[in-house]
Amino acid sequence: MPATGPIFLDEQTIRRRVGELGAEITRDFAGEELLLVGILKGSVFFLADLARAIEVPLEIDFLSLSSYHKEHQQTGAKAIRFLKDLDQPIKDKNVIVVQDMIDSGLTYHFIHRSLTLRRPRRLEACTLFDRPQLRLVDIEVRYRGFEVPDDFFVGYGFDHQQYYRNLPYVAYLQPDDLQQSLF
Amino acid sequence: MMERPPTFAYYRGAKQPEFATRTELEAAKLFDYHRIAWEYEPRTFILEEDERGNILEAFTPDFYLPDLDLYVEVTEMKQSLVTAKNRKVRKLRERYPDIKIKLLYRKDFVRLAQKYGL
Repeated sequence: MPATGPIFLDEQTIRRRVGELGAEITRDFAGEELLLVGILKGSVFFLADLARAIEVPLEIDFLSLSSYHKEHQQTGAKAIRFLKDLDQPIKDKNVIVVQDMIDSGLTYHFIHRSLTLRRPRRLEACTLFDRPQLRLVDIEVRYRGFEVPDDFFVGYGFDHQQYYRNLPYVAYLQPDDLQQSLF
Repeated sequence: MMERPPTFAYYRGAKQPEFATRTELEAAKLFDYHRIAWEYEPRTFILEEDERGNILEAFTPDFYLPDLDLYVEVTEMKQSLVTAKNRKVRKLRERYPDIKIKLLYRKDFVRLAQKYGL
């Protein structure tokens, strides 16, 4: 595995911002209940900390989405789909979809379309990292942790070939095969 | 010469698209994978005419995403192409303010491609 580069966000900075997001969500949903839906796998650490920073009653559930690369290589499937769906109906529930990163908005657009059909009371997006400069689909991101540049990061849920997710901070990484992975 | 494109489920066009670049093909695959309906070069916009109405400059964006009512232009990294397309997109926005168009640079696509493992 390549060594990580400099730290982009340290633990304290992440903790402070996640706490702020939790307080904001607590204010917005005061007196109500929530369902946090984490998108596997990148959101797990963020969701765990965010959930503990929210002070309204909440449930947790997860969605897992097919991987573009693996689907094409292994199954020949040609369209995004849920590999793991929610364990419960969301009709009339306040739902916040928790993601590690939103960039093009294509993935969240699919999630939003799919979950809207199930008629939740509210459906909001929360992302730790946002790259609005890469946005293709105009989506509303109500809660965002940080706007970040187009660098490759690892740690706090972000991986490279499934490693580094458990780092308590976010660091830069420039793996050797990064440029070779394109086309 | 481009490889023969795969069969697309969300392509909304009459005939098989013939992509000019590999980046365009990969963009089409990305839209299709995310179940986003797309068309390839469906409309040409007149950007400039002379006093007799002869077309002096026109622009055909690479993609139209009907569900999003959005045109997408994909550009390569060569600076001269980027500059020319930036100028055309700016003129299109000036002349057709109601048209939504986004310019996707190859460097942006590199970042998305890393995410999706293209």
